[in-house]
Amino acid sequence: MNSAIRNGLGYTTLALMIAALFMVFDYVPPEAEQGIAQLIFYFHVPLAWVAFASFAIVAIAGIFYLWLGDQLWDDLGYAAAETGMVFCTLMIVAGSIWAKPIWGTWWTWDSRLTTTFILWLMYGGYLMLRASADDTPQVARFAAVLGIVAVLDVPIVIASVRLWRTIHPAVLVTKQGGHGLEDPRMVATLMVCLAAFTALWAWLLMLRFMQLRTRSRMGTLAVRIAFANAAASDSK
Amino acid sequence: MSAPVVETHSLAKTYGLALVLRDLDLRLPSGAGAFVTGGNGAGKSTLLRILAGLEAPSGGRALVFGQDTRKLAARYRRRIGVMAHQSFLYPNLTARENLEFFAELYSLAEPRASADRWLSRIGLAEVADSRVRTFSRGMEQRLSAARAMIAEPALLLLDEPFASLDHDGAEIVAALIRGAIERGAAVIATAHGVPEIEGVEFAVYEISRGRLAEPAPKEEVRRGSRIRSLLGR
Amino acid sequence: MSGFAAVLRKDLRLERRSGESTLALLALSMLVLVVLVFALDSARLRSVDVAAGALWVAMVFAGMLGANRALLAERDNGAIRGLLLSPLDPGTLFAAKLVAALIFMAVAEVGAVILMVLFFNLEFDQSIARLAPVLALGAIGFSALATLLSAITGRTRGGDMLLPILAVPIFVPALIAGVKASAAALAGAPLSSMGDWLRIMIAFDVLFVTAGYLLFEHVVGED
Repeated sequence: MNSAIRNGLGYTTLALMIAALFMVFDYVPPEAEQGIAQLIFYFHVPLAWVAFASFAIVAIAGIFYLWLGDQLWDDLGYAAAETGMVFCTLMIVAGSIWAKPIWGTWWTWDSRLTTTFILWLMYGGYLMLRASADDTPQVARFAAVLGIVAVLDVPIVIASVRLWRTIHPAVLVTKQGGHGLEDPRMVATLMVCLAAFTALWAWLLMLRFMQLRTRSRMGTLAVRIAFANAAASDSK
Repeated sequence: MSAPVVETHSLAKTYGLALVLRDLDLRLPSGAGAFVTGGNGAGKSTLLRILAGLEAPSGGRALVFGQDTRKLAARYRRRIGVMAHQSFLYPNLTARENLEFFAELYSLAEPRASADRWLSRIGLAEVADSRVRTFSRGMEQRLSAARAMIAEPALLLLDEPFASLDHDGAEIVAALIRGAIERGAAVIATAHGVPEIEGVEFAVYEISRGRLAEPAPKEEVRRGSRIRSLLGR
Repeated sequence: MSGFAAVLRKDLRLERRSGESTLALLALSMLVLVVLVFALDSARLRSVDVAAGALWVAMVFAGMLGANRALLAERDNGAIRGLLLSPLDPGTLFAAKLVAALIFMAVAEVGAVILMVLFFNLEFDQSIARLAPVLALGAIGFSALATLLSAITGRTRGGDMLLPILAVPIFVPALIAGVKASAAALAGAPLSSMGDWLRIMIAFDVLFVTAGYLLFEHVVGED
């Protein structure tokens, strides 16, 4: 059943991605003001959406893990963190590629890029925590708590960074992503890109999650083997 | 004597592929004492840790005061005293300060008076104001026993309480255990061999291959332990 | 409640007993200020901004050391197990450790403020009084966060290095707000003008004190 979903997601992603690439590079008209660089927007917005969604899943899975204790939730949280990290990194790269032609530098501390960077650091911290310790239920609890507090912090981060940047608008008077989507073709392209990246994200998440589940099940298997071994040596 | 203080049902515990405890059934009413013996790694400490709520069983159930050990409410924890290989004492506090702290933690009415009383009982009254870091292992062990019992708990879980003790120290701790049982507490202690405690009848169990053997006559078990230690098992 | 007082009193007593190391750690946080004075050319930048920034760097540094120490005391002889086995509620334990870390950070802050005024040629006047609540809010939030996180990092291999990696990104909003509000206070602005920043800091504090209190049991427990 799970493999069917996973494969289905894979093919859907492929189809949507091809459609998205076509629409971005061949179909949609570039925006007048920013030129071709603006096209990154069609990737940046979906990337932002999945990066934050991943983060939310890390926290929700953490809550369920602490509450129910089922290893499944820990596996989901870990998979979501890894997947989210990938997309968050892509988001930063995309933001940087966008910054160069628009602002002339590879990086700038505008509110979106700053928030993304903080998010990226939080992901990094979570993954470092998991990497620096063995896979015990105790570490899973640590990770769950970290995920929860990090996500609870995100709204405060967004608010403070935005306030920080409005006080110093000097650096950038800019189109922060083109909310004015006049052309219906732009809207359509954005929708397709959103769908494509969501599918890609869901697919990768599913792959990783299933891997972790398999590994966890081996742990349960070990317990059963232990019992079986003991029973076997008893009857000798 | 209605419900037993401690009971386990088919208790099991695995570490990786090793089955340390399995099918372990134990019942202990109040005012009773049990010694659990067995070789190194037999699972004695594991059993105590599970009963204390520090570890979760891999199978079966462990109940203390009728409550699942995994989620013991504060009011039950108040009635349990634990001695482990580690003393739980603060090296930079004095003996008296350590006992006072635990007395306060367990909401005793007069922490200072209780601390002093127990210091006398364990023969450490003269060094009451010395820091624990200056103590010998035996002195620390005695203080740890006092720490475990200062709140007069209804259940004592003692992991090798006589380890590192000289004759005097062992007598002191034996007297404390006897006093606890006479008070109506239930006591489970682990040991390699079985020491004599005057005036108290202890049930003796042995953990062998993860299971609890029937209480054996003391002499047999002692002989058994000696033979086992000779054979290096 | 007696548990909270008992743990706090014990921690303060232990802190006094370890005399030299406390002093050394406080000195370390002050040294951070010294480094920053030389590293940043304050003549070219507006003094209060640099001063506020340097102050907060020293504070965060001190905060991390303080939170770590509060939980370090429980490592000897497995003392933390003794606490877990006792009737003490984990949330209460968190509160006691939080206050212990807070006290350490407060002492460091006082020293840092004094040095800041001296190094950056500021005045001991009204602006310092307005600074106090900002620093207090910052200390509470950071102590709560660091206490919760050091219970985690204390028991993983990354250990001491992991604490700043985890704490700093999460602390960023309070850091931004704190530095901005501090600079404004030092420049003579009234507290009412910093409303937005203070609100952010208060939100952060409420969030992390509550989260710490509720989640602490999951990070101190054994397996």
